[in-house]
Amino acid sequence: MTANASVAGKAPSPRRWAFKRPSERALYGAMGFIGVLVLWEIATDVGIFKKSLMSAPSLIVKAAMTDFGSGAIWPHITTSLSEWAIGFAIGAVVGIPLGLIIGWFRRFDYFASVMLSAIYATPKVALAPMIILVAGIGIEAKVILVLLLSIFAIIVSTVSGVHSVDRRHQQIAQSFGASKRLLFTSVVLPSTIPFILSGLRIGAGRALVGVVVAEFLVANQGIGWYISFNGTMLNSARVYLGILMLGLFGIVLGEMIRVVERRFDSWRPEIH
Amino acid sequence: MAVEMAAKDLIMSAKGIRVEYHDRTTKEAFLALESFDLDVVEGEFVTIVGPSGCGKSTFLKVVNGLLRASAGEIKLKAAAKGRDDAMVFQESALFPWYSVLDNVAYGLVCAGMSKKDARERAKPMIRLVGLEGFGDKYPYQLSGGMQQRANLARALTVDPGLLLMDEPFAALDAQTREIMQSELLRIWDQAKKTVLFITHQIDEAVYLSDRVIVMSARPGRILADIRIDLPRPRDLHVKRTPPFVAYEEQIWELIASQMKTSASQFGGG
Repeated sequence: MTANASVAGKAPSPRRWAFKRPSERALYGAMGFIGVLVLWEIATDVGIFKKSLMSAPSLIVKAAMTDFGSGAIWPHITTSLSEWAIGFAIGAVVGIPLGLIIGWFRRFDYFASVMLSAIYATPKVALAPMIILVAGIGIEAKVILVLLLSIFAIIVSTVSGVHSVDRRHQQIAQSFGASKRLLFTSVVLPSTIPFILSGLRIGAGRALVGVVVAEFLVANQGIGWYISFNGTMLNSARVYLGILMLGLFGIVLGEMIRVVERRFDSWRPEIH
Repeated sequence: MAVEMAAKDLIMSAKGIRVEYHDRTTKEAFLALESFDLDVVEGEFVTIVGPSGCGKSTFLKVVNGLLRASAGEIKLKAAAKGRDDAMVFQESALFPWYSVLDNVAYGLVCAGMSKKDARERAKPMIRLVGLEGFGDKYPYQLSGGMQQRANLARALTVDPGLLLMDEPFAALDAQTREIMQSELLRIWDQAKKTVLFITHQIDEAVYLSDRVIVMSARPGRILADIRIDLPRPRDLHVKRTPPFVAYEEQIWELIASQMKTSASQFGGG
């Protein structure tokens, strides 16, 4: 229906939907988020939750004002952020080409597929103690864990993207005598991009898990450390503050990937 | 007959084409085409009709080089410029990630032309097929008929000696299909192309063609090679004239007899 309408030139252009949709999205998203906070506050006020264990949004805001005011929380944020960014960036820069190679060359696929599915299914956090033994307690160990957690999602998703290229589209390229190289850039790559992006989305989340787990185990800085340290100190407001910041980071991340997706997906009809 | 045509300018000559398929799951081999001969003369509009599964699309793929025949040979006249042949595929064969203009220019890019030059050369073709002003649109923004116009433009842009069309209008609704049929005749007349067209619709075959090749059920062989002596240019009114209807009936009888044989082969009926 949309297709016919836009051909007639009367329907709103995709650009206008793009402006309209996020605001509606943000409105409902904020309503849900604020609603939960209000319920939480009320539940602790009337005593359904214990303040010492469940804290309350007002206490978390107070803790946030203290720690942001003194600046004490910034080193934790930058530490975690750089561990995440370095590990994830390496994961993307290595994982995407590796996925494309494995997907595109049959022999690489045979060589790697069993290994990949075995590793993909293994919980990589189980490797954390060994990684610390090998790489020490510095940033390297954290980056390695983040990398291991994110890269396989990126590889596996990219490979399945290359494998699900439409046969008809390949035939068209062949029919016009496209070189292998052109077949790759004009058909395989564009049809794989949505898969790469979903791999990055999953990988980015896994990378964040890696940061927190690594910092739980050995660290003296970072949001993961901040959460576990304040947990042992029974400072629940700060624990939730840390968790909240991870959640916030998740939202920012999701929006960033959405922007990238929209940039690549201009040729797709809007679904929702 | 064949000798007489060989004297003229042959664009394509297929001799003794045999195509065997191997079913991947059952490991069974079956014959799609056997001793299939066909000559096409320059400027001709030739259509192949036949019951579904008779191997007509298979033959087109062999001509295009997408499939290899297990026996026989195909000679294509080398085009003076452009490609020897180009295929117009069935519905929605455009790349969804390219604009209409880039889709139409694609064949030239495959031939090694720069994107910029290819786009310049594609523009007149977009005009020829009646898509002016839609070059920047993406395929999903076009109706089915317009998508097939773009498909046709993409094939015409490489200036093929022989235009291969694989049931291009099969997915269109009846009205759009009729419009596209007469549009195709207009474009064929303007672009002066030789066309080998596949369809399962008898009226489409008669309306478009100089010759209609009727194929048998699998393995596909030629049952009849019928010359359509209807005056050109043809408009859609010709479909209601007695000679047109007579051609339709002649072809229908041939195909119907085939459907009976294949039904009895499978124990149906």
